[in-house]
Amino acid sequence: MANNAEDVENNFMQGQPESAAGPEPRQQQQQQQEGGTRLRTRGGSGVGRGEGGGPEQNGHPPAARPAVQEAEEDEDEEMTLKYGAKHVIMLFVPVTLCMAVVVATIKSVGFYTRKDGQRLIYTPFPEDTDTVGQRAVNSILNATIMITVIIVMTLVLVLLYKYRCYKVIHGWLFLSSLFLLFFFSYIYLQEVFKTYNVAMDYFTVVIVIWNFGVVGMMCIHWKGPLRLQQAYLIMISALMALVFIKYLPEWTAWLILAVISVYDLLAVLCPKGPLRILVETAQERNEPIFPALIYSSTMVWLVNMADTGGPRRESAEETQEAAPEPAESPPPLSSPQDDGGFTPSWVSQQEHQLGQLQSTEETRRQIQQMPSARPPAEEDEEERGVKLGLGDFIFYSMLVGKAAASGDWNTTLACFVAILIGLCLTLLLLAIFKKALPALPISIFFGLVFYFATDNLVRPFMDKLALHQFYI
Amino acid sequence: MNLERLPNEEKLILCRKYYLGGFAFLPFLWLVNVVWFFREAFVKPAYTEQLQIKAYVKWSAVGLLFWVAVLTTWITIFQHFRAQWGEVGDSLSFTIPLGTP
Repeated sequence: MANNAEDVENNFMQGQPESAAGPEPRQQQQQQQEGGTRLRTRGGSGVGRGEGGGPEQNGHPPAARPAVQEAEEDEDEEMTLKYGAKHVIMLFVPVTLCMAVVVATIKSVGFYTRKDGQRLIYTPFPEDTDTVGQRAVNSILNATIMITVIIVMTLVLVLLYKYRCYKVIHGWLFLSSLFLLFFFSYIYLQEVFKTYNVAMDYFTVVIVIWNFGVVGMMCIHWKGPLRLQQAYLIMISALMALVFIKYLPEWTAWLILAVISVYDLLAVLCPKGPLRILVETAQERNEPIFPALIYSSTMVWLVNMADTGGPRRESAEETQEAAPEPAESPPPLSSPQDDGGFTPSWVSQQEHQLGQLQSTEETRRQIQQMPSARPPAEEDEEERGVKLGLGDFIFYSMLVGKAAASGDWNTTLACFVAILIGLCLTLLLLAIFKKALPALPISIFFGLVFYFATDNLVRPFMDKLALHQFYI
Repeated sequence: MNLERLPNEEKLILCRKYYLGGFAFLPFLWLVNVVWFFREAFVKPAYTEQLQIKAYVKWSAVGLLFWVAVLTTWITIFQHFRAQWGEVGDSLSFTIPLGTP
């Protein structure tokens, strides 16, 4: 699916003028989009305002600055780590929730594990063949077709983006999420009711689905409370994962997971990879990538200090899932859409010290490192969160869901732990390399290894022990 | 979207849009409106637009209660009498449970 390119993006942005850099004018226009740069603490840097009054100190008086600047360097190191842990947790929760929803559904609602003989058009070859060899060949062919579709979709998306056909892209994403929010949730609801043997009338169902869908569209594509938006993204990722679990045949599913991790790796890291091109194009144009496809853990606010004087906001959220089966969208990138045109830079204290009061036309996204006692000033920016593409959610949940469907709880938990470990490692790499990274490969690799190992080695072992009542 | 960072006029506009949207058979939207703007309307210190936001939140709550009442009544009636309605009951049903009623 498309959504994978998950570039787990770390939005560590560099705040300021690293004081340490000596007295040159700090107008760092780093157009960063992805690259999160090192986090810097803001303690000690001031924000100069062009003509709007004196610079506002973020917590340390100017006099203390020189001493503070030394400390800043040390703090930076700490801050990087501290942030890393916090961001990891910020991603753990939604990923865990998504997986929990999928596992709970798989274990209770029989519909998603029942093979009704229906297949997606992308996987035309059946797997209930006579010989193992034939089955293997069929699954390989299915996986090939699927991955080809995904590659083609990604290329189409990149081309559309390159030639600025934004309307087409937005329309496509809008339709995908519409379909997902209404149709798939209708089916889900129906199956849940059937499972629990509950009678339900059409009026209530229509009202419920209508509400769910419309509010979902509003939260995802327009404006809505952050938590609700995150909840909706988790729900649609779970729905998508369930669809995959139901309609992909066994071996095909595992193969697709493996192949898509490899694809993700190539697409994001290779110089000619479509996703990389997409990201770079967005960077050149200095605009946010898509108002969709990405789960963002916090909202980013950018403040423009010089001209308007008031806060200007940039919505970092609008994420949407793209790709119900008919519209396999290409792997989304999680580029900071909140970058749109802002080239942040705080006027450094250096300037202040040197007496230059340059007007800051730009703002910088920063992670707020202010002492808690200090009320946030107008220029403060909201903490940037980490972003993870929805495709990652889908594939993680799909892996755990398949483990739950075919294995016992040992396998499910093992896969769950493996994926979280992989996510941690990916975030760690992100903190080190500071550029968009694919979030699938490490986690899926660990997940697959753990799944097959647990299913084939640990489970029989535990069963034998239990059989012989031998406790270790 | 963080309400904190919006200027007051925009908060009012957003609240109003959520309120008006709820009339399209969307009690959930009214619920979101009430929960999201509750703090703004009743807890924050007063500002110019707050009065209107309060009004919207109150009316959204009223609408929500109305819908809850209607839906609860209908669902109770349906669940209770569904079996007795025979064919009509079945045609109204989205899912029909198995077993004897």
